[in-house]
Amino acid sequence: MRLSIIVTIAGGLLRGFGLMFVWPVVVAAYYREWSDLWGFVVAGAVAIALGQLMRLAHPEREPDLRRIEALAVVSGTWLVVAVLGAVPYVWVGLTPIDALFESMSGFTTTGATIFTDFSAFGRGLLFWRSLTQWIGGMGVITLFVAILPRLAMGVGQLFFAEAPGPTDEKLTPQIRKTAAVLWRLYAGLTAALFIALMLAGMSPYDAICHALTTLAAGGFSPNPLSVAGYDSSAVEWIICVFMFLAGANFALQFRALSRPGLLVRDEEFRVYGVVVLVATVLVTGFLWQAGGPLSTAVRQGLFQTLSILTTTGFASADFNLWGDQTRMVLLALMFIGGCAGSAAGGPKVLRHMLIGRYTLTELRRTLHPRAVLPVKASGKVISDTVMRTVLVFFLFYVLTFALCAMAVILLGADLVTGVTATMATLGNVGPGLGEVGPMASYGHLHPLSKLVLTGAMWVGRLEVLTVLALLRLEVWRSAHWRP
Amino acid sequence: MRIIIIGGGEIGYALAQALSSEHELSLVDNDPAVSDRFGLLDVQFLTGSGTSTRVLDRAGVKGCDLLIACTDLAEVNIVACALASQLGAGRTICFVSREEFAQTGEGRDSLSEHFGIDQIVWPEAQLADAIERIIMAPGAVDAGAFVDGAIRLLEFRLGAESPFVGRPISKLDLPYGVVIAAVHHGEATTIPRGRTVLDSGDKVVLMGTRVAMQTLQRQLAPGADTARLRRVTIIGGGDVGFRLAQHLDSAPGIGLTIVEHDRARGEMLAAKLENALVLQGDGTDLGLLESEEIGRSDVLVSVIDNDERNLLACLIGQQLGVGSVITRVSTPANLRLFELVGIDVALSARGAAVASVVHQIDGGRSSLLQVLEEGQARVVELTVPPQFRSTALRDFGLPDDAVIGSIVRGADVIVPRGEDRIEPGDRLLICTTGLSAEELGRLFAAR
Repeated sequence: MRLSIIVTIAGGLLRGFGLMFVWPVVVAAYYREWSDLWGFVVAGAVAIALGQLMRLAHPEREPDLRRIEALAVVSGTWLVVAVLGAVPYVWVGLTPIDALFESMSGFTTTGATIFTDFSAFGRGLLFWRSLTQWIGGMGVITLFVAILPRLAMGVGQLFFAEAPGPTDEKLTPQIRKTAAVLWRLYAGLTAALFIALMLAGMSPYDAICHALTTLAAGGFSPNPLSVAGYDSSAVEWIICVFMFLAGANFALQFRALSRPGLLVRDEEFRVYGVVVLVATVLVTGFLWQAGGPLSTAVRQGLFQTLSILTTTGFASADFNLWGDQTRMVLLALMFIGGCAGSAAGGPKVLRHMLIGRYTLTELRRTLHPRAVLPVKASGKVISDTVMRTVLVFFLFYVLTFALCAMAVILLGADLVTGVTATMATLGNVGPGLGEVGPMASYGHLHPLSKLVLTGAMWVGRLEVLTVLALLRLEVWRSAHWRP
Repeated sequence: MRIIIIGGGEIGYALAQALSSEHELSLVDNDPAVSDRFGLLDVQFLTGSGTSTRVLDRAGVKGCDLLIACTDLAEVNIVACALASQLGAGRTICFVSREEFAQTGEGRDSLSEHFGIDQIVWPEAQLADAIERIIMAPGAVDAGAFVDGAIRLLEFRLGAESPFVGRPISKLDLPYGVVIAAVHHGEATTIPRGRTVLDSGDKVVLMGTRVAMQTLQRQLAPGADTARLRRVTIIGGGDVGFRLAQHLDSAPGIGLTIVEHDRARGEMLAAKLENALVLQGDGTDLGLLESEEIGRSDVLVSVIDNDERNLLACLIGQQLGVGSVITRVSTPANLRLFELVGIDVALSARGAAVASVVHQIDGGRSSLLQVLEEGQARVVELTVPPQFRSTALRDFGLPDDAVIGSIVRGADVIVPRGEDRIEPGDRLLICTTGLSAEELGRLFAAR
């Protein structure tokens, strides 16, 4: 592993990232929040300067990127981006751990917050909070692959190391074009949601913040009561539609623009639809049984199903107060997640499908020991290598979950809080149950718990293996500066 | 006609055999040793490559009526046909062995259009389709359907206990609407007369209306219950096996198992087929066939590229208790041998393909519907010319080597008896062993 190369590439990415601070500066200036504004300026300046400095590490023509180096660039960049993104929070007086938690929660589109009193924060900062989710939704690297012409080498490696889910889909022969196409679709959908929310009566500021966090499947809301705070069924229905899209494969959606039939033919999309349907029916049924009109039960059932399944984490009601049957369904949804290649987190529908099919295949093999039994998805054979990665992913996902939950509970959280907080952060969902429910915050947890959960968000967003591959001692023993 | 044949393999030889008496043939092959075999036939033999303009020139490609390229390599055939059509051959027929060549796109995209090939023949596909027809007609050794399924053709092998054995045909108790179109006895296929007596071991070809044929099928193959799930095992996932599997994979009521030796090929098959079970192993591996209960199959199809192994696989299958076995034969001489040792159906890839090409050359206005018994008999369709005067069938005086299986008049389908009339404009389905369709056409025109 050649550190100089990793640093150089990460530096280029950071410089680009620094420019992102222009937007909160504009918003803060618009609302005349001058003291907050300087926080963004400082953070942006540091990012650009640091990036520039890092680019000096290896000024010659760049050689090819190795796989482990690509993983290091992606993991490292996400970490540094989260740290720099935390600067504006520290600027307004949050402790560094809280700031890092909030920042990481933003970039990983988790939506878990330590905020309790939203009135203490300016509009510029709350906008920045939403923007971080939007950037993280499609992926920091994907964004810069699309916009930075300098980044030529190892682009494919970086792109796929960051991509959510076991896909290696290219929409165009060139990765850069693919990234640009995906970002355009993402931005287009965001703009559509913004307009729809405005028409539904939201203020432009609230509309843009929700548009940014919905498409990212993030779930930050500038309103302390989340979407429930607007008390508008129109807003909830609109957000339902866009949450559904955010949880579906963007590449598939792009191709479906010209051939809508592809959606129905895609097996993952079909399963995703069935999961949404079944969970909605269950949640609605339980809510209706508990009392209240059917129309409200349907709306809240669909909204909360989509919000949790796509790992967005908006709340249209305090689902922590719902019955245990309903909460169990939501907990199960957290463990499923959205589609591969979407903005959603979690283990992904496709992985569940593949593991299910693999299991059936193995059962069939006991009857026919000599049979050739490939695992297929949408008619394509899943190679043994990919299947192995999926299995290992699951193993480590569960292992990480168990270890983090144990740590959080040992540090003082109760059982429900500890388990759901870990699941909600590792799966990038956001709100959990118990003391970290949708109307509560993560603020009261032990500082070490917050660090553990910050790590869980990072590992969860980068799909576990990207980060865990770097934990091997062997990798660091072989690390050296010069190529 | 002046015809050039490129490639002196089995197909080239069979074509030469069928065509040399009537037409002027030139045969081109790389291998001079091949020429010995053609010495007995009245053909001009040229040694050289069919893709060389010089050789084609010597063969007289300029102004020849037809060039048939039938070497083992599809690419060579395509190049030869493309060159020939540039050099002035009248028509070109190209034999291919793989699907990508046979797939014909639309207009300018199609391979044939692009290279100036008039017709592409894919013998393996014809073989696979023939096997599929047979599988779909339980109990029969060959099957066909014409006039949108209104007329069915079935060929049965008669067992010793069959009600058909030992009586003249005129005394048989056939359902109304069925005719016996041809009888295969020993090595020869003939059109039967009323006095013909059928023997055990003979194969009879019957044509008739759909309903009548169903009744007949219950009579002749009582065990064949079509409602039950039928297990089909294919040994060998090559071109023929794969195409057959693709067709049977989605067919309702069929449980398909394929045994393929090559691991990579097996993976390809498993990837492309939805429901079939692909087993990796040798089709003659008794342990594998036993543990997978291949013996419970209703039909076993062995289509490996090796006659000996096919025979072995079939015999093992029969030992294990398979209902019926179908196999492919590459060497024509083995065909008879295979049937002698009890293989239910033995087919060669080349038989049907060669017969269809020959029919095209000599067929005149009729169209070929089906080839029977490796080309010994054919079912053709012919339209009665308008100037023909209406005649009763018994007065028509049809030659001995042809029989009218059915008459299609507008929407009506008639399985004719002696008193039925042939009217101008009728479409006749004729089963014939010897007569070229052109001769039949002349027969109608003369009256």
